[in-house]
Amino acid sequence: MEIEVHVSARLQAESLYKVFGRRPDQAVRRLRDGAADRDELRAEGATAAVIDASFTVEPGEIFVVMGLSGSGKSTLLRMLNGLLDPTAGHVRYDGQDLTTLGDRELREVRSRKISMVFQHFALFPHRSVRENAAYGLEVQGVPRAERVRRADEALALCGLAGWEKSWPDELSGGMQQRVGLARALATDADLLLMDESFSALDPLIRRDMQDQLLELQQKLKKTIVFITHDLNEAMRLGDRIAVMRDGRIVQNGTAQDILLRPANDYVASFTQDVDRSRVLTAGELMDTSVTADDPGCHCVTATTGTPFTELCAISARLSHPVSVVDEDNKLIGVVPLQRLVGFLGDERDATPEPCDSPRDKGGEKVTARA
Amino acid sequence: MPRIQLGTWVNDAVDWLTTHMGWLFDFCKTVFLGLYDGINAVLQAPQPLLLAGILAVIAFWLRGTLAGVLAFAGFAFIDSLDLWENAMITLALVLVATVIALVISIPVGIWAARSDRVSGLVRPVLDFMQTLPAMVYLIPAILFFGTGASAGIVATLIFALAPGVRMTELGIRQVDKDLVEAADAFGTTPRNTLLRVQLPLALPTVMAGVNQVIMLGLSMAAIAGMVGTGGLGGDVNQAIGQLNVGLGAEAGVGIVILAIYLDRMTSALGTQVSPLGRRTAARLRAAQGLKIWSYRPRPAVAVIGVVVLALTAGGMGVLGGGAGTEAAANGKNVGQGKKISIGYIPWDEGVASTFLWKEVLEQRGYQVEAKQFDAGPLYTSLAQGDVDFQTDAWLPTTHAQYWKKYGKQLDDLGAWYDKTSLELSVPSYMKGIDSLADLKGKASRFGGKITGIESSAGEMALLKSKVLKGYGLDKEYEVVDSSTPAMLAELKRAYAQKKPVVVTLWSPHWAYNDYDLKKLKDPKGAWGKGDGVHTLSRKGFADDAPTVAGWLKKFRMSEKELTGLEAEINKAGKGNQQDAVRAWLKQNPGFADKMAPVKDTGGSTPAEAKRPLDVAWFPWDEDIAVTYLWKNVLERRGYQLNLKQMDVGPVYTGLASGDLDLNFDAWLPYAQKNYWDKNKDRLKDLGTWYEPTSLEIAVPSYVKGVDSLEDLKGKADTFDGKIIGIEPGTGEMDLAKNKVLPAYGLDKEYEVVDGSTPAMLAELKRAYAKKEPIAVTLWSPHWAYSDYELTKLKDPRKAFGEGNTIRTISNEKFPAEYPQLTKWIKNFRMSEDELGSLESEIKNRGQGHEEEAVAEWLRQHPDMVRRMTPQ
Repeated sequence: MEIEVHVSARLQAESLYKVFGRRPDQAVRRLRDGAADRDELRAEGATAAVIDASFTVEPGEIFVVMGLSGSGKSTLLRMLNGLLDPTAGHVRYDGQDLTTLGDRELREVRSRKISMVFQHFALFPHRSVRENAAYGLEVQGVPRAERVRRADEALALCGLAGWEKSWPDELSGGMQQRVGLARALATDADLLLMDESFSALDPLIRRDMQDQLLELQQKLKKTIVFITHDLNEAMRLGDRIAVMRDGRIVQNGTAQDILLRPANDYVASFTQDVDRSRVLTAGELMDTSVTADDPGCHCVTATTGTPFTELCAISARLSHPVSVVDEDNKLIGVVPLQRLVGFLGDERDATPEPCDSPRDKGGEKVTARA
Repeated sequence: MPRIQLGTWVNDAVDWLTTHMGWLFDFCKTVFLGLYDGINAVLQAPQPLLLAGILAVIAFWLRGTLAGVLAFAGFAFIDSLDLWENAMITLALVLVATVIALVISIPVGIWAARSDRVSGLVRPVLDFMQTLPAMVYLIPAILFFGTGASAGIVATLIFALAPGVRMTELGIRQVDKDLVEAADAFGTTPRNTLLRVQLPLALPTVMAGVNQVIMLGLSMAAIAGMVGTGGLGGDVNQAIGQLNVGLGAEAGVGIVILAIYLDRMTSALGTQVSPLGRRTAARLRAAQGLKIWSYRPRPAVAVIGVVVLALTAGGMGVLGGGAGTEAAANGKNVGQGKKISIGYIPWDEGVASTFLWKEVLEQRGYQVEAKQFDAGPLYTSLAQGDVDFQTDAWLPTTHAQYWKKYGKQLDDLGAWYDKTSLELSVPSYMKGIDSLADLKGKASRFGGKITGIESSAGEMALLKSKVLKGYGLDKEYEVVDSSTPAMLAELKRAYAQKKPVVVTLWSPHWAYNDYDLKKLKDPKGAWGKGDGVHTLSRKGFADDAPTVAGWLKKFRMSEKELTGLEAEINKAGKGNQQDAVRAWLKQNPGFADKMAPVKDTGGSTPAEAKRPLDVAWFPWDEDIAVTYLWKNVLERRGYQLNLKQMDVGPVYTGLASGDLDLNFDAWLPYAQKNYWDKNKDRLKDLGTWYEPTSLEIAVPSYVKGVDSLEDLKGKADTFDGKIIGIEPGTGEMDLAKNKVLPAYGLDKEYEVVDGSTPAMLAELKRAYAKKEPIAVTLWSPHWAYSDYELTKLKDPRKAFGEGNTIRTISNEKFPAEYPQLTKWIKNFRMSEDELGSLESEIKNRGQGHEEEAVAEWLRQHPDMVRRMTPQ
């Protein structure tokens, strides 16, 4: 990957607004001034789909936009490649303001720099798998032979070698979406917009596809904006997650931020059902008030990235809190058993209390913090 | 409510359009006619069965073996019904209308699919076009585009456009939005989105629209027969007009076969051109396995098949000899190397006259090609314009069938030899038999047989229907259908054995040279006057080569000259005809200059005869009679008449627009008052040729006690309270409703039922057969009075008014353009006897033999030609 000279991010959205319906500009003004809210506008015949959305996406990052249907996430995505024209605000890609481009330049950007994967695959039924994968290249005007070569490469990358001559309707849903992914990858665009790309798939296949996407991402290091309504998926894939509600981004942060520090009750209610054990890592759980130059014993240690389940396993084998070390083997925090159990129960800073009526008169339980 | 003058506005708009936008309509007309003529020429060119073969190969390719076989059978069937030419005309009409409809409807459909505003605008227009009754715009179409193919195409177009637009719009709109977005997301230009994504996916729907366009076009093409488009629609229209159910059914079946073929082919084509359709079909075939009935050749094979057949078809037209050319005599090079092709039948006088003309024209600097044909193919080639002229047409009798079939596409340049005769002949050793009358009572000597020729020949028909009856021989003798060679063989055999024989023969014929024969005299003139040997040219030849046409028109040969030339040619032998001609010309100095005078190019016909006259006729007996009478007479005077059969409304419109020249059947001042009043400023009344006529209500004579209109009173129960009417809006209907019924106090009891003339006649026929009481609106003269016994109800109160007279009307420029003809027409009168006898002659000969009937009738009324066209 070429090193960016820009200090700024790869993709930057600056207070994007999208209002459908009547007098959109006026609506934006009133929204900015706080003179009207979404419901008032709706009564007047204007639908504010996206309100004041700003975020940045760094190169090689998977940025997930999560929200329920109607939250404006698909509208937001379509403003990023100019399929929809923002009512207000700017989209900068590699420093270039897409909102100022004409139709022709915008098409050029879409054909070479930004590609897209759709929820319902959107494969062309009158084209073979190979022709579908080569579609973007055809639009770019790449000669046939090279087109076929690159399409076949992209298909192979997505695990579809040997299916080139098949037709879309002969493939399963998962395979069809791989074709969709191959079509997006074949153009060598750096930015991939994925619109609920895995939502229409069976849960098992969806998982496979997520794994494959992560695997591909390791190799290709694309910049990806991924839309989903599934928090688990967002947590699995997203380096950073923006949660949208009623057109606004209500929180923007890492999976752990969302999970552990929800910006409001809405986000919190979202995260309730999340299987934390899959998301939380030692870095999130550890008590950072305990530090030292080394763990102090030769027991098994954890790193910040050690997932919750593994921490539990380690903790079960130790009689003391698990030590968390960095690359230099410095102790940066500890995870006591209580904390582990507490996080499962949504009790963040659990401090053990002595039992009122102990069953046996044993000595005081060890509760000391390491 | 105030009366909104919509009708007036429309009238004004139409007037404005005709005066100010004429150039646009003329342009459209040129385009339409050009396309139509082109396609029609291509379809008419090959032999019917070859084209049927080509169409069958296309069916074979698109749908499989069974479809191919059925297509061939269907088209062969059309050919066997003698409807081939008309079917091809209809096909050409539909194809042109379809092509134009698609050129318009697909872009409009695409536009409508991309813009809701356009869609909203287009939809009501389409509704309007589809539901507006065809008659409403069929007649105005004549105002703008004239009668014939272009008006038919426009009417078809208007009717057939809607499904094309709708289906295209629907097809594009129903393409998955996701796919369009995907294309957009990859930076596809709108144009490419349309071409690469939307259209391919919309194709099955669009093709369904094309299919609908063709089907609607075909159904409309039949209706458009009313404005003189000809084709199967014309046949249907004529059949309805004459209540000829059989002909109607034949033409109808022809249309159905065309419809089925076009429907199946376009739907199969839909599958073939759309990638998705191809895949579905392939999968289906794979599932079924290969079957002989559904076997389809590869496109390449089919294309080769079509090309081979097409080349064969093209090749057949080119076959025929091409003799060398001679340098033109100095100073007389009129032709400047212009190419002329002459067709001839290998009969002595044909060969002689053809090679004579070939030599003379080559002397005048033309490049002449002489092609030998059989009579049938010769007429076909001539009609198709492959051959410029031929000199051996025996008219009006012998070649009547060909003339009937192709006459419209040919120009008669007049007779150059008129001493021919038809006769029965016996060997001279048959003593005591010198005249037809002598045959009576001698049947046993001849075995009761007269050896005839081809049953289709005009001479045979004349013999059977007239000659034998005329001499009371029809009970005694049987005319044996055979062929010319067989007759000659029979004559030769009998002659050699000196046996009695009587044969059908004609003069000139070499048999009279070879055998000693007696032509049986015909004191009663039953054979009529002999045929003339005519020169016929393809239509428009006179315009292309006026000089040659002028020479041909003046061409005459005496018997001595002809026989002398024939003898010279016979002596020289085959292949040396032209040398013989040269030798003969040397013996007859000055003959070439007489045939082809270099300076004088004028003709004996009035100058005004140059342009063909467009004469419209209604399928009513008196009009058929008078129109064909004028056709015959005027063609003797060098005029050319194009006859167009049409409905009343279109005729008046066509005359007013100047598109038609004449109509001989204007019932004025009452019956066609409405039409006349509407257009009278642009029409000229050339006077009455027949009177009196009357309008009346008639009942079958078996309805007793009803003799006058007054008698109808109180008998409403008998007639179910109905008087069967004709087309609403006609003068007679208005009179019956508004005047006659009230005058006799019948308006409370009876209702005059709107309908049409054919429907009224059909109802009359039905009721008459069952002897049911019925009252119909009728007029005199009408053939119904001869077919059924009807009582004209007396009209003592003269409520129907005084009788109409039948007049000739023309467009307003006619009298100025045709002063001579106008004078003739103004002086023209016919008596009831004359009209009656002519009508019955035509009726007896049957439909399609009008020209023969007129020729025969003129033979019986020898002064008629001079009376009609005094010179």
